[in-house]
Amino acid sequence: MSADVSMPILIVDDYKTMIRIIRNLLKQLGFEDVDEAADGSEALNKMRGRRYGLVISDWNMEPMTGYELLKEVRSDPALVKTPFIMVTAESKTENVIAAKKAGVNNYIVKPFNAQTLRSKIDAVFAD
Amino acid sequence: MALIDDSAIRRELKNIADYIRSLRREINALQANDLRHRRIPAAGHELAAIVEATEQASNTIMACAEAAMAADPSDPAAYRAFVADRMTAVFEACAFQDITGQRVAKVVETLEHIEARVSRFAEATGAKDAGGHASDKEADEAERKLRLFIHGPPLAGDGAGQSEIDAIIEGEAKSATQDDIDRLFIKNS
Repeated sequence: MSADVSMPILIVDDYKTMIRIIRNLLKQLGFEDVDEAADGSEALNKMRGRRYGLVISDWNMEPMTGYELLKEVRSDPALVKTPFIMVTAESKTENVIAAKKAGVNNYIVKPFNAQTLRSKIDAVFAD
Repeated sequence: MALIDDSAIRRELKNIADYIRSLRREINALQANDLRHRRIPAAGHELAAIVEATEQASNTIMACAEAAMAADPSDPAAYRAFVADRMTAVFEACAFQDITGQRVAKVVETLEHIEARVSRFAEATGAKDAGGHASDKEADEAERKLRLFIHGPPLAGDGAGQSEIDAIIEGEAKSATQDDIDRLFIKNS
């Protein structure tokens, strides 16, 4: 199974520039319905108002980090199944292990390229 | 009752006075007011200018790339001229690196200035580092970073690479270190 290019995707990052980069890369991959949030709490509000097919989130944001967002999503029965990819400069092994324990579907370390993003999205929807 | 040795007391008081004088000299040599009111704020302004310049350059470069990708290629000559014009704008935007390099050099100079004075002070006074944090705010921030695994971008070779991360996500990782495991069991406060 491959990702449905018409699904809405939520990008969560506190840097507008990074949102723009990911949005452009997703556009190249055929995804046009892309929404954005500047931190975990804004993302959570948006997720409670709309069903997203995929969340792509940074880790280090304030007030709510991507790690906290992931834990909130995985503890909410309405959101628990939302595919979640962490895209972050936090590349310590302990971060990856913690994210995996919290239920992340995949993990991309910044900086990254379109091919990496495509392969991780494919991997999430192949599961 | 033992007789008090006036000369010994005088000697001791003189030593204390000399120490206080030298401590005061070292404290003045720190130039704390200059650091606080001039050098550190100036370094902060330089860093803010770097962030602004890199953001502007990134936006310009991305806008050029977006425009080039969206351009109509049906007229090859016009298309080539348009793309060449956008690429020239990209080259111009990349000039930010020269300016930011100079700004970074000024910040490094400030850090070296502070390092020199703090090192001299620590050596002259035989300072020993106390534990703890300077303020509740600093303590809260340190606790938050520890609890939420916030380290910031690692230096080259310090963090895991994408292939190592893939192995962990795919469950093929070699065993984590005890530190990795211990951190997973830190109770949230």
